[in-house]
Amino acid sequence: MSTATTATTGGPIAPAPAPTPRRPRPGRAWIHTVIGIVLVAIMLFPVYWMVNASLAPAGNSLNTQWLPLNPDFSGYSRAIADQGQNLITSLIVAIGACVLSVAIAAPCAYALAQFRIRGTAVLLFVVLISQMIPGIVIANALYTVYTPLGLINSIPGLILADASQGIPFAILIMRAYLETFETSIVEAARVDGCGHVRAFWSIVLPVSKNSLITAGIFSFLFAWSDFLMALTLTTGETIRPVTLGLYTYIGTNDTDWSAVMSTAVLSSLPAVILMIIAQKYVAAGATGGAVK
Amino acid sequence: MTTTATQPVARAAGPGSAARRRARRGDLLVRYAFIAPAALYMIAFFGYPILKNVVMSFQDYDFATFFNGKAPFVGLANYTATFSDPIFLRALGNTGLFTIGSIIGQFVIGMALALYFRKKFPLSGFLRSLLLLPWLLPMIVSAAVWRWILEQDNGALNRFLEGVGLISDPIPWLVSSSTALVAVIIVNIWLGIPFNVVLLYSGLQSIPDELYEAGQLDGATGWKSFWHITLPMLRPVVSVVLLLGVIYTIKVLDLIIGLTGGGPANATQTLATRSYEMSFIEFDFGQGAALSNILILIALAFSLVYLRANARAAKNG
Amino acid sequence: MAPTPRPSPPESDRSGLPRPTNHRSVSRRALGLGALAVPGLLSLAGCGPDVGNGGPNDIRIVDYYNTPADDVAINGTFSQCAEELGLTFSREKVPGDQLIAKVLQMGSSRTLPDLLMLDNPNVQQVAASGALAPLGQYGITTEGFTDPVADLGMYDGTLYGIAPTVNTIALFYDAAALEEAGVAPPTTWDELHDAAAALTTPTRYGLAFSAIASYEGTWQFLPFMWTNGGDETDLDGDGVIGASRFWSDLVREGLVSRSVVNWGQGDVIDQFKAGNVAMVVNGPWNIAGLEADTPDLDWDVVTIPVPEAGTDPVAPLGGEVWTVPITGDEEKQKKAAALLKAFVAPENQLYMAGERSTIPGDAAAAEQFAGEHPELSTFVDQVSTARSRTAQLGPDWPRTAKAIYTANQRVLVDDTDPAEAFDEAARTVDASRTAS
Repeated sequence: MSTATTATTGGPIAPAPAPTPRRPRPGRAWIHTVIGIVLVAIMLFPVYWMVNASLAPAGNSLNTQWLPLNPDFSGYSRAIADQGQNLITSLIVAIGACVLSVAIAAPCAYALAQFRIRGTAVLLFVVLISQMIPGIVIANALYTVYTPLGLINSIPGLILADASQGIPFAILIMRAYLETFETSIVEAARVDGCGHVRAFWSIVLPVSKNSLITAGIFSFLFAWSDFLMALTLTTGETIRPVTLGLYTYIGTNDTDWSAVMSTAVLSSLPAVILMIIAQKYVAAGATGGAVK
Repeated sequence: MTTTATQPVARAAGPGSAARRRARRGDLLVRYAFIAPAALYMIAFFGYPILKNVVMSFQDYDFATFFNGKAPFVGLANYTATFSDPIFLRALGNTGLFTIGSIIGQFVIGMALALYFRKKFPLSGFLRSLLLLPWLLPMIVSAAVWRWILEQDNGALNRFLEGVGLISDPIPWLVSSSTALVAVIIVNIWLGIPFNVVLLYSGLQSIPDELYEAGQLDGATGWKSFWHITLPMLRPVVSVVLLLGVIYTIKVLDLIIGLTGGGPANATQTLATRSYEMSFIEFDFGQGAALSNILILIALAFSLVYLRANARAAKNG
Repeated sequence: MAPTPRPSPPESDRSGLPRPTNHRSVSRRALGLGALAVPGLLSLAGCGPDVGNGGPNDIRIVDYYNTPADDVAINGTFSQCAEELGLTFSREKVPGDQLIAKVLQMGSSRTLPDLLMLDNPNVQQVAASGALAPLGQYGITTEGFTDPVADLGMYDGTLYGIAPTVNTIALFYDAAALEEAGVAPPTTWDELHDAAAALTTPTRYGLAFSAIASYEGTWQFLPFMWTNGGDETDLDGDGVIGASRFWSDLVREGLVSRSVVNWGQGDVIDQFKAGNVAMVVNGPWNIAGLEADTPDLDWDVVTIPVPEAGTDPVAPLGGEVWTVPITGDEEKQKKAAALLKAFVAPENQLYMAGERSTIPGDAAAAEQFAGEHPELSTFVDQVSTARSRTAQLGPDWPRTAKAIYTANQRVLVDDTDPAEAFDEAARTVDASRTAS
């Protein structure tokens, strides 16, 4: 499976077409599209299998059909009825964690990459260590702290907890991009009497939109796919992300797989749409004027 | 708008008058203000858990501790018990194989896909977004689907391989000591590709085209331009992708638990799964913490290499 | 799903929502989505946590009954009992495999619920930690229960938990397939082996059980081990080794898929539903699913075959046990115990057993139940002779259970000789016992 992928992608790296106007002739472009579709199809086969299982009649998760010829939508009707609210919770928490992560991480990453101040090495080190701590250890500690603060079963509590993956990650990623950032523009602005904050806000941020969005995407994904924090820091059914909601179909001994798979399919739709929008910005690349 | 100047402007270091010193102190405060929110968050959310995990590894911390709070200090006993555990070495070896195999697979395929999708062709952006899908699925779902795909008798993968005549007997992907680790690595590569593609792609995006144009004049095309222009320019991104890849892979837990539970017969037991097992199945939380600290130390060793390389780059840069 | 009746004391409105302010850094459209959701969000934040601040009559309950059949039966019973006692309750349903982790968290932060459900093998450990209140002081007894069922909630001769319904495992078989192969439902190991051989075809295995590396794998092994004279206190005895050898022969001859080393009981029943296997070891909790998902499948149940004709069948006793944790609020513990006492009354046992396809713990109720539910009579018979897993080893059981499934994994995966694998298992258990 993986070997097949490398074999087909090994080629294109080689004689790359002249890069500047990277627009090959229309005919060739479509060939690229076809190859691209094939690559994505191989990658997404398990996702297709999930869709396939979601359309199988309940209890026939081991369906041996390659195509869902007799689709059964009962799993979807259950999923929509049970998980609609949870889906909204998931989206709010993931977007909140994404915004919070980027807002806290961006200035820090810039400072780590560009300022020469003492303590940055220590902070960087702590950021790295934080990525190594098993999630369960953090979740347990947060539970103890959250209980007296009344943050259990609260959206802000979940956003703060889920950002614990996003913030260190975003700092590291943005710092890597900002290292190659051209300091001369900022220096020039500083000479013109522009303060650090202003330089950061109106020069650095617009130019590094690309890395901001990349960091944002992953912060969103981390929060979106979180299960552990949700499990630990919520107790009722009022606030329950969809990852945890899935578990209502997973019994201790039997599982309603078609409902589980339907929920997964449904829950990935809004997230995919968000991703496509965000990726558009990444594709726009490091454009955007550096001088307002 | 593109940037062309590559000369860092030398900092004017004037003689320090009092006013200037004050200004500089104010300037320093502003600089620290950039770091403050992140630093505060890190202390609040990671300080206590890290400390607790370290302390726990020197305690006899068991099931009853959670209710009566008694956890006597036992010095290094948890560590000596861990090192003398017959499964420890196997888990260590598996962790190494799992990490190396996953990282190589993810990075190579991820890089190839990122380069491929850098070409402009119809639907390229849309297809690239779809590659993120594996990350959007809840882990429990990914694990279940892969278990069906890898099922020995009726799994889609074996049926496909038999159908095209690549194998004559079904491969016992998840149920044999010799193939289970390979199967788990394959699934983890699949999960890790999106991460690599997105980060490497946005790194590629920020390489100015002028560099390639200049390279072309010097005859650097194809492989040469990749080797001499793309890779050096990607260096900070590549190093952080690899480092984070190692850190995340080394502590992968739920995927392995979902696919094999560390089985069959400990064939896919890694330090992370063993630590989990020690804590939540054997209820020996002291040893569980010791194991996760060993894991952290290994990841730290990698990080130090990264930090050193960074410091060197900063000096040379 | 029946909504949980929840008391609604006026909550302070905690809407300290961080409104994102830096509009530049995220896609505006995403913010638009967020803004759309904010009204809903405010209403969410308005209803406060239901942890520890329910009124003096609000009983907090934690269990793992997520599937609808279980959920509705449990909820309905509690609703009725609470109403009669003038109490209210709020339930927290934890994913099954996460219950113990959650209980430990609650224990360490002093947020244990007023009523706690535990899977019976864990009761001893929690009781040994001093987290549970003895039930005798509240007038709860095991009167009318058989000894094994009473044992499920006992630790050191004191009653800490009580099981309203119990379950066990038996052999489900595809009646049509057996008829087609001209095989009678097996009663002995030899018959089981021959039946499995006759039923195995290129697209179907004769038999399946769960031999996964978890407590489920041990639980399914116990009937074979116990009926063969094996005992958990003597892991390297002939009885245990013989049972393991019987399993491994079935796998090696291809009558049982090697995949069983990675199948939980749910996977096993899924294979049965899909027609990939003709006989499976499984429990009554799956009967509702079988009837709903595969109405055309003509299945039946017999007790798990025994080594020799005439051997008494012995199966393990399963089921969840309800306990009253020590929360420090003596008054509330009394109310919780009163609720529990009403909850486990025989008529409620009968109702829950019927809804959940499990067996009432009370002996008389179980007898009545067998008459009303002939399809479950096999299980009722099995339960009457079943054994509790923790009766002998108490809090040490989980460690031994782990040694058993680990040894079986080695036998089935690496073709280790059973004698060697279980010899090692016995040594592991002894070593860990001396260490602690």
